[in-house]
Amino acid sequence: MFKIFKSLVLVALCFALSACFKEPLYHSQSYVFGTLVDISIAGESDERASMLANHVMQDFQNLHNRLHAWKATVANQPSELGELNAAFSNGKTPLNIRPDLAQMLLEIRTLSEKSEGLFNPGIGQLIGLWGFQRDEFTAVTIDAPQIKALVKANPRMADIVVSNQSVYSNNSALKLDLGGYAKGYALDVAVAYLRQQGVKNALINIGGNVIALGQHGNKPWRVGIQHPRQPTAIATLDLADGWAIGTSGDYQRYFILNGQRYCHIIDPRTGYPAQHMQSVTVLVPPQAANKSQAGVLSDVVTKPIFIAGATQSSRLAQAFGIQDFMLIDEHAHITVSKQMAQKLHWVNADVKFTTLP
Amino acid sequence: MRMLNLQRYLKRLQCKRISAYFLPGDVMLLAIGVLGVFYLFQLLWSTEHATKVQIRLADKIYATYSLKLQREVHVPGKLGDTVINIANGKARFAQSPCQGQYCVHQAWLSLAGQAAICLPNQVSLELLGENKPYDSLNY
Repeated sequence: MFKIFKSLVLVALCFALSACFKEPLYHSQSYVFGTLVDISIAGESDERASMLANHVMQDFQNLHNRLHAWKATVANQPSELGELNAAFSNGKTPLNIRPDLAQMLLEIRTLSEKSEGLFNPGIGQLIGLWGFQRDEFTAVTIDAPQIKALVKANPRMADIVVSNQSVYSNNSALKLDLGGYAKGYALDVAVAYLRQQGVKNALINIGGNVIALGQHGNKPWRVGIQHPRQPTAIATLDLADGWAIGTSGDYQRYFILNGQRYCHIIDPRTGYPAQHMQSVTVLVPPQAANKSQAGVLSDVVTKPIFIAGATQSSRLAQAFGIQDFMLIDEHAHITVSKQMAQKLHWVNADVKFTTLP
Repeated sequence: MRMLNLQRYLKRLQCKRISAYFLPGDVMLLAIGVLGVFYLFQLLWSTEHATKVQIRLADKIYATYSLKLQREVHVPGKLGDTVINIANGKARFAQSPCQGQYCVHQAWLSLAGQAAICLPNQVSLELLGENKPYDSLNY
């Protein structure tokens, strides 16, 4: 009888212990870049994790202030991007900028070329005209002549001349808006910092763009992909060490005018919001040190695919070395690359989708 | 020892009373079995329905409530009060002082892992369940 009691206690202890062996998980949330930032750190003491997360949040806030697209000063700090845009609009006045900003401009120029000009952060004026350089988005009156004029002015990243730390633009219509780059860049900054601090396991989410470091307990970090029209995930997938995932959608930043949805992703060729996609998701593997990093690519690569549509998706993804992507078009039809199809776990098992060959 | 027990067991089996069919050890084994099944049910059969809602205001957890009790929560955000309804295992943004009202349009949430955010007022809802279906949401 006593023996049985002892074994019972043992069984109970096992259950209790399995609960205790869970790694400590620290979680912090904040609002930066006009969106929600979410940091999880696993396997560190709460104290250290909180210190590290605060440092990362501070880095993000600094980047946000420096790269703000439409406020001249943020938190009493002049926006470096604002100063740069002012110089651009004044003609070819060279401006000295900080080395990391010069590096960013060169990187963006390369990425823009690779995207055949569809990723174009130089169209800040168009983005502003459509009302997406505000904290909240309300319908605007569509100013067709002005849109036409801005498209004709054709500001491109190639108009920017960078020599050492001195920069000017050959096109005074060029106005930078790094809304499709800064969050991805920030992810890479955070990962580099956390790795350097010896953190093994973390998950960082800036406004939906997510990057993973290590894993969560004995399993990879798991990420849900938002359904573009329902308040739930459409699928989940495992995000391995160093991988990043990004989605561009028409459901977070948009307004509706006369029954028509206008989203924040502007086609630089027409000057109008892209209208044939609900969402585009890319999954990016870790990159070599001398190339654009996974965070940046997760932010950037969705844009040209969102604008160009399904028929161009494979080619554009390939140009950036990306094999895993998912598209949901305006009719809610889902297309998945072959590699991505193997990684997705659909929330609704009956979901219909097309797999690319 | 074991042989002795078995002999005793067989002897008692010859009696006709039902209680005699079970020794204390049998009862214990049965209990462990039932508990085990219950535990595994909890572990593996966790329905996705959420049990709690976590409300965050800016970078702080504002409150965590059970979804079972009906409740109206007023969260004082940057722009004003956001009103959150909780009822029948669901939660939603009922009223918000923001322009876009995207948060209100998210309507009722009921599954673990579902979340809604009001960026302008910096209020977020996240439904919590037994198991998290994912660690973070890509959107």
